[in-house]
Amino acid sequence: MKMNRMNTASRLLALLLTTLVVLSLAACGTKGGDKTDGTSSEPKNAEEAVAMYNDLMAQENDILSENTELWEKVYMSADKGMALQEDGKNYGDFLLSTIESAKDQFTTDEMNLLQGEAEKIRDIENQLTLIEEKYPEVAQQSTDDAMSVPAGSDMTTPLDDGSMQKFPAFEGKDLDGNPVKSDDLFSGNAVTVVNFWFTTCNPCVGELADLDALNRELAEKGGALIGVNTFTLDGDEAAISEAKDVLTKKGATYQNVYFPSDGEAGKFTANIFAYPTTYVVDRNGNIVGEPIVGAITEKNQAETLQKLIDQALAADMG
Amino acid sequence: MDKKFSGVSQTMSRFRGWIQAGATLLTNLHLPNFLKGGLYQGAGKTVCVPGLNCYSCPAASGACPIGAFQAVVGSSKFSFSYYITGILILLGVLLGRFICGFLCPFGWFQELLHKIPTKKFSTKKLKPLTYLKYAVLLVMVFLLPAFLVNDVGMGNPFFCKYLCPQGVLEGAIPLSLANSGIRAALGKLFTWKFSILLSVIALSVLFYRPFCKWLCPLGAFYALFNRVSLFQMKVDKNKCVSCGKCAKACKMDVDVTKTPNHTECIRCGMCIRACPTKAVCFRYGFGDGKDKTNVAEMPQKNKDNKEI
Repeated sequence: MKMNRMNTASRLLALLLTTLVVLSLAACGTKGGDKTDGTSSEPKNAEEAVAMYNDLMAQENDILSENTELWEKVYMSADKGMALQEDGKNYGDFLLSTIESAKDQFTTDEMNLLQGEAEKIRDIENQLTLIEEKYPEVAQQSTDDAMSVPAGSDMTTPLDDGSMQKFPAFEGKDLDGNPVKSDDLFSGNAVTVVNFWFTTCNPCVGELADLDALNRELAEKGGALIGVNTFTLDGDEAAISEAKDVLTKKGATYQNVYFPSDGEAGKFTANIFAYPTTYVVDRNGNIVGEPIVGAITEKNQAETLQKLIDQALAADMG
Repeated sequence: MDKKFSGVSQTMSRFRGWIQAGATLLTNLHLPNFLKGGLYQGAGKTVCVPGLNCYSCPAASGACPIGAFQAVVGSSKFSFSYYITGILILLGVLLGRFICGFLCPFGWFQELLHKIPTKKFSTKKLKPLTYLKYAVLLVMVFLLPAFLVNDVGMGNPFFCKYLCPQGVLEGAIPLSLANSGIRAALGKLFTWKFSILLSVIALSVLFYRPFCKWLCPLGAFYALFNRVSLFQMKVDKNKCVSCGKCAKACKMDVDVTKTPNHTECIRCGMCIRACPTKAVCFRYGFGDGKDKTNVAEMPQKNKDNKEI
């Protein structure tokens, strides 16, 4: 009799467990699934509209970041006096006319490619405008993706409605003891990449050389990369010399800074628990997109980071 | 006195599931972190928990001894993890594989899976596989992290990185569900370890505690201390009728009457409950516990020997 009771109990437990396992697997399934959803249909509510809007923006950014060199040529030849925003002209049309006016700079293949892509952007922009008309609040909510400057929205003044997260301010020093102020640092660069690491973190140390290369690349574009070694916070001297040691061994020459651990930025750092974590910050001190968690030695991580950097650079130019 | 302790043994073994649940909860106290997708990083994390429980579980109250060992031994600052080895030896001497049977969250997880009603298979014929875990301990936990280092003298926590299913279950899955940044970082390694976890889950349904038997380096470490641990199994030869029920009941393939302190014994007490004459019980303390019984056994010993 006792055995029977035990059996029912264990069966119940087993049943509960199987449902749990099934549920968790199902959860994983939907997580992966919703990424592949198409975006053609009309949004049903504001939330969906925001999602669609962001998705379209992302698509547009993808197009623009794919052939960066060609687009840069297009940007260079754009007529800066042309007031495209005021007359509500489609950004795709603007690109098309710019490409047309600079056609002598491109081969026919390149022209075809650029025109095709610009037409895609025009379609995306049309969809974006439609969403904006129906849900005017959407454009405001999804400002962090603002790179392509959709018609009608004013991007000249940075929005401070909380949709953009400021990188926490700090007043610290670099590992050589020179003072560093976050305000000056960010405003002095079109884009600042902030990499959080610590000395005994293997993947962090593994990406130092890549980060150094990235820093040199950024310097040409008016950007910079800085490191924050969490062991060195509050200026721990032993930690600083160890960090410097590792940096030298890895040939990393970019600036590494520390700040007080009880300050705004210090508390921000305490909440990072996966290392390395890399943030992209724009000239106004706003965090661009989501932080990159994990080393950028991984190809897709490096690509994600590059997209965020391009986004910040493009926004800075516009 | 013996009688009383065998009573305690019976009770402990009977409520083992609840003790396991309690231990799992104590090992993972910071439950709200599951929703936040963050980690507890307070002072508790400077101490090791006895069982295999991932440091990166959002709720974890302490560090995993195996993870901590690899982190220290693989660090450029230290050449060996003295502090953690000391804690492990202490735990091994105080409790031995009692930790596997009563305190380890991953052991409990496998047992719960085993309750799913299907056909069950014996692992008796797979005994050679039980030596695999010592290789895992030696190679993946000690040798590779300590000696396969990069130019700055850092090693990888090989066991955590490439094998540990508990890390995926408690760390990678909940963190990536709650944190989009971590989700984005998932790659091939996650797929590999997720497959390991799925295999361990599937095997656990069919076999009893496959991970503990074949792969767990922590179990391997404690197994080495079973013989000298203060926590022992005791078989009262006077009461034993050699019916063999204990060996049949044992899911770790141990015959408690022959080798009461076998390396595979996780002190779950199934033999204690199976014994019709209450001859088997837990014993805690110094010595091998034969002193008292020896006195009583002396006059009968000859008779015993004759019978055999």
